Amino acid sequence: MPKNITIFTTNTCAYCGMVKQYLSAKGHSYEVVNLDDNPERQAEAMALSGAMTVPVTVVTKQDDSQEVIVGWNLAKLAPAVA
Amino acid sequence: MDEAHTNASGDDKHHDLIIVGAGPAALTAAIYTTREDIDTLLIERGVVGGLAAVTDKIDNYPGFPDGIEGLELSNNLRKQAERFGAVIELGEVMSITDEGEYKKLETTDGDMYAKAVLLATGSDYKKIGVPGEAEYYARGVHYCATCDGAFYRDKKLVVVGGGNSAVQESIFLTRFASHIDLLVRSTIKASDVLQQDLQKFVDEGKITVHLGTATDEIVGENNVVTKVVGIQDGKKVEFPTDGVFVFVGLMPNSQFLANSGVKLDKIGFVETDNRLETAVKGVYAAGDIRSGATMQIASAAGEGATAALMIREHLEGREHAMPN
Repeated sequence: MPKNITIFTTNTCAYCGMVKQYLSAKGHSYEVVNLDDNPERQAEAMALSGAMTVPVTVVTKQDDSQEVIVGWNLAKLAPAVA
Repeated sequence: MDEAHTNASGDDKHHDLIIVGAGPAALTAAIYTTREDIDTLLIERGVVGGLAAVTDKIDNYPGFPDGIEGLELSNNLRKQAERFGAVIELGEVMSITDEGEYKKLETTDGDMYAKAVLLATGSDYKKIGVPGEAEYYARGVHYCATCDGAFYRDKKLVVVGGGNSAVQESIFLTRFASHIDLLVRSTIKASDVLQQDLQKFVDEGKITVHLGTATDEIVGENNVVTKVVGIQDGKKVEFPTDGVFVFVGLMPNSQFLANSGVKLDKIGFVETDNRLETAVKGVYAAGDIRSGATMQIASAAGEGATAALMIREHLEGREHAMPN
């Protein structure tokens, strides 16, 4: 079980909704950083992901290591939050 | 996959119908089949709603006089299908094998079996296939304006394409970008209404349309896209930009059908008869994946409904030929 999960999103991003729905279905809580409301945090999302895209999901594990999943990628997201 | 969906006998591997995909064709079909108590499972590897979900505004779907956001339409279709019992599981179908009464679907969650299968995997945006495109993917080259447009506030953009999607998404991107160069290989193919909308942004100086301009290369420096090189009248033309959005047509999501017996056309779209049945009995196709589809959301929904009725007849063993 991760320590916490943060999702960088925008208002119009359909793939972000898929990440949220998946995490909710699995019983995970998560923090949302909406880049439309917080454009000053775009650089943070880009630094974490190396990309100019959302969703960016940051999974912090119990040992404080982080895994960053770029886009809606179930093959990476599922094991990261298991 | 998300949660196991069981049929009436508690078996989560065998179903009357498995729909591959969860776009407008798939969800419409599911509305029809679940209302008929047909045990229906949808398997989606991408986004529920398909390309409709990542489209900013949809103005030509009937029943919405002021248009509707693609994401909202997709969510509405999903809710309507789920209201009647449709279950959408997240995963990927890797192959389909005809085993007679049941079709075997190899999925990321193991083998699944269905008496009927509806292929509704739709299509994805094509790549241009020029130098720099793959290198700068998601770091300056994008295929989803509603996902990535927000990264280009007050920046210059190039959009490549001349169809409905390119024009629609260019207009959407004016929310963020300071200016957009729209590179059109030949002429604008978008609908008249969209062209009229486009003209307003051209008149305001937000969008400049470059007809007869082929995209030749996407160039960057220090890991950042800096310009697009186009060919116009046989000469190279440079378009300085901070990013590129590409909407140059669609390619079918049919790779998983290799060796399935389902016949594909030369591009890879699924061929069907007038009952929307493929070359494999009991396997149907609807929406953008189907050869000859009009690539319209309204058409996809209609085909989904038609396929559902044909599948019902198949499951009841009372198929009859449709009039030509």
